[in-house]
Amino acid sequence: MFANIRQSVADWIFRAAVPEAPPVTLVQRRIFILPTRQGYFFAFTLLLLLMASINYTLSLGFLLTFLLAAMGGVAMLHTWRNLAHLKLRPGHCPPVFAGETAHFGVTIETPSRTRFAVAIRRRDAEPSYADVELGNVAVVSLPSAAVRRGRVACGRLEIFTRYPVGLFHAWSYFDFGLQVIVYPQPDASAGAPPTQSHGEAEEGIPVPGDDEFNQLRPYHAGDPPRQIAWKALARGQGLLTKEFNATASSEMWFDWNDARALDPESRLSVLCHWVLEAERMGQSYGLRLPGTSIEPGRGDAHRTRCLNALALHGDPKPQ
Amino acid sequence: MSALAPPAALRALDIRNVFWLLAAMAFVIAPHLLRVPAWVGIFFAAIIAWRGWISISAQRFPPRWFTTVLTFGASVAVFFAYGRIVGRDAGVTLLIVMAAMKLLEMRTQREVILCIYLGFFLVMTNFLFSQSIPLGIYLLACVWLFVATLVGFQRIGATPTVRERLVPAGLLLLQALPLMAAFFLLFPRVQGPLWALPQDARAGMTGLSETMTPGNISKLIQSDSLAFRVQFEDKIPAYGTLYWRGPVLWGFDGSTWRANESAPLRNAPYEKAERPVRYAVTVEPTGKHWLFALDIPGSTLPPGSTIRHDLQIRSTRPVDTRIRYEMVSYLDYAYDEKFPQMWRNYALSLGDESRNPQTIALGQQWRADLREPAAIVNRALTMFNREFTYTLEPPLLDERSPYDDFLFQTKRGFCEHYAGSFALLMRAAGIPARIVTGYLGGDVNPLNQELIVRQADAHAWVELWLEGRGWIRVDPTGAVSPLRVEGGMDAALGPIGAMSSLIAADKLGVLSRMRYAWQVVNSEWDQWVVGYNVDRQRQFLQQLGMGVNIDWQKLALWLGGSTFVIGGLIALGLLLRDLPRRGDPSLAAWKRFCAKLARIGLARAPHEGPVDFTERVAGTRPELERAAREITERYVEARYGRGASPAQLRELSRLVRAFRAA
Repeated sequence: MFANIRQSVADWIFRAAVPEAPPVTLVQRRIFILPTRQGYFFAFTLLLLLMASINYTLSLGFLLTFLLAAMGGVAMLHTWRNLAHLKLRPGHCPPVFAGETAHFGVTIETPSRTRFAVAIRRRDAEPSYADVELGNVAVVSLPSAAVRRGRVACGRLEIFTRYPVGLFHAWSYFDFGLQVIVYPQPDASAGAPPTQSHGEAEEGIPVPGDDEFNQLRPYHAGDPPRQIAWKALARGQGLLTKEFNATASSEMWFDWNDARALDPESRLSVLCHWVLEAERMGQSYGLRLPGTSIEPGRGDAHRTRCLNALALHGDPKPQ
Repeated sequence: MSALAPPAALRALDIRNVFWLLAAMAFVIAPHLLRVPAWVGIFFAAIIAWRGWISISAQRFPPRWFTTVLTFGASVAVFFAYGRIVGRDAGVTLLIVMAAMKLLEMRTQREVILCIYLGFFLVMTNFLFSQSIPLGIYLLACVWLFVATLVGFQRIGATPTVRERLVPAGLLLLQALPLMAAFFLLFPRVQGPLWALPQDARAGMTGLSETMTPGNISKLIQSDSLAFRVQFEDKIPAYGTLYWRGPVLWGFDGSTWRANESAPLRNAPYEKAERPVRYAVTVEPTGKHWLFALDIPGSTLPPGSTIRHDLQIRSTRPVDTRIRYEMVSYLDYAYDEKFPQMWRNYALSLGDESRNPQTIALGQQWRADLREPAAIVNRALTMFNREFTYTLEPPLLDERSPYDDFLFQTKRGFCEHYAGSFALLMRAAGIPARIVTGYLGGDVNPLNQELIVRQADAHAWVELWLEGRGWIRVDPTGAVSPLRVEGGMDAALGPIGAMSSLIAADKLGVLSRMRYAWQVVNSEWDQWVVGYNVDRQRQFLQQLGMGVNIDWQKLALWLGGSTFVIGGLIALGLLLRDLPRRGDPSLAAWKRFCAKLARIGLARAPHEGPVDFTERVAGTRPELERAAREITERYVEARYGRGASPAQLRELSRLVRAFRAA
């Protein structure tokens, strides 16, 4: 009940704010604190202890009651300063496919002591806890189901703590405008990508592909393992990648119209599957969507560009 | 570093957390185990073990119907053990049983919290039985354990070490102590009780009773517990004059002497009273009404008390707590020469004359033979002195005619035997007599000159009314064992028990000194902590300068003020520690290092970089080279290199501290 009231009050006091530029430092005036339900229950227990002390004239009972009451008061200070001066930055928010779980990352640093049991949560979601050590960056990852393609916006986050004794809830809000891009769910039933060329690619210009061995070049992160020159590695020449030339005819184009599915979302799923397949095979591929055209290419950056185009096609509303 | 943590509810019942809670519970209940029936201890231990086993082996909790039946069964067992469910002893036992059952079915965070709060209650229940310093310290440790348990349950997503539980909890309690003290001293005290105390709330208090039958004081003598303490304003009077008057017993039925409801005293009765003695008594709770004072109490009385016709001081409320009062007494007196006929008859009553015929006959014969009261008294005392033996373990007497049995058969006894038989003999001889019970003497603590009176000092003596002299005190025990009257119980019986003989062998050595020091500490504890009540608070606040009229508004103001000041200081201390450090700690350390070298004439020139400077130091003072290079290396790394961790900064700072340039 208290949680609900607090939520309503908080919603009224802290109406939607503009996302802030990182880093956010939890300065003293943006930290709020109220007793928890456990705190109110503690106060009730103290009242009973006090009445028992009065009734039986127990001096040590008074001492116990006052010790616990004072402990509660001191705990309020400790809870509050467990958040004070923490520095927050947006963390990694990797893209996911629809149907997977999106993770919003937030990093926390402390300027002084280690802070224990600092939690961050999205509204109504289970919080994620972290201990923030001096000299280390604590990474908190907030899961959220990604149902549809497009963007999942994280929205306002609550950072809170109840450490050390759980009698008080100290909290603050922040909003970095974090979002995760959700790619369409790949439709594996669509089968292999179509191999016919739609390109009017000019003949004679070598395009990186995998048809014809061209040369060895130093390995770059992300090169497919099957293009690594294992023999060269065995000869002690280090990691080298075999570079092939693709002929224009082997270049793939994935077109909106090729994905013959009933509705646009299914088409995007099919295209998504083809992009992943082509990338897996090391093929060069291009993508044509209504209003967008991505020239053929390969590699992680290209793949990401294509998947983003699929994810954001038609500018779906953020979830 | 951390990633995702499982939901709080799952983490809450982490095995180690549960074990901390079980341990704290076991510790807080331990002092009770000597007081409750043995099966309760076994029951509690078994439940704790069961709960621990559930956690270790991830066993299922017992079904609800089972715990319900067990709880009901245990409650019934408590009822049969005590004959009731309410009251102090039965209530505490029931609470222990319930706490155990709650532990057994504790599954959620909320139930854990409930158990911890229940633990605080169990701490409180211990105080119903004792408020001594050792128990206080022990239970403070228990509170620490409970708070540490609470801290452990807040460390969601991590398993804290022992240190990480105990240190924050200890810090919380340490910082709470000044606030606790302020609240304790200033919180408006209400005179309890708020509701009727259970009948056995004061069970186990020892002390004199309202009746005296041969045998009940000698039981008291075995008890070493404290009766009261006295602080004299001047010199402590001689041991033999320290007769602390308690219940005065007039009524006699043949075997038992009883206190009667005598009329309140209207006028000060003494004809002659000189050399008043001033002192303050701190009396332990007895649950009874009387207060103790030296032989003839003066005109000032403890607040809330009256003095009776027979000079017995009675408190209007039962003495349920330790109370302190100031008294004036006259040791040199004569009083009440005019003695009303009604009381005279009462003081001559022989009870059921058929019960002690031989004693009565002896008294009547003395009256016929000797006539003079003084001669009769002497005759009786001589008889005791010649034929009787003082012993703490007297033979059992015939209940029907105890004094005949004592005077003519066993002739071995204790103060109550002598006082009872002597008073009866005097009454039979026509001399009005009454019995006074109370304490004789006490033990002086040389460290604070406080007189400690124990139950072992309990005593009974006789007062006789003599024509022309009024009431006089006669102590027949003195005729048998003068040492008891002159030097106390230890002198009369020799050391009792190992502890006493140890102390006796060590007359003014370390042991007795320690014992006296402990008494002083205990006395202060009782005065200022356990005995801190409405009156004490008033007295303390007046000393603080709050004036005579202390109302609750004034108290609230002071309480609020001191809470604000103390809380503010704690907050300030905490926040200052949190302020981001200004300046570069490595630079500060380096400056200290340079200052040390400047003192021996090796000042760093403004153009000199740290490395050049160190080369120069190494060139001029080779013996400093190693230390200087090490410091410089670390400083350069911290300030111009990759930076330094807090541990490395501490190390740099330590090296600079250790650096000696001479």
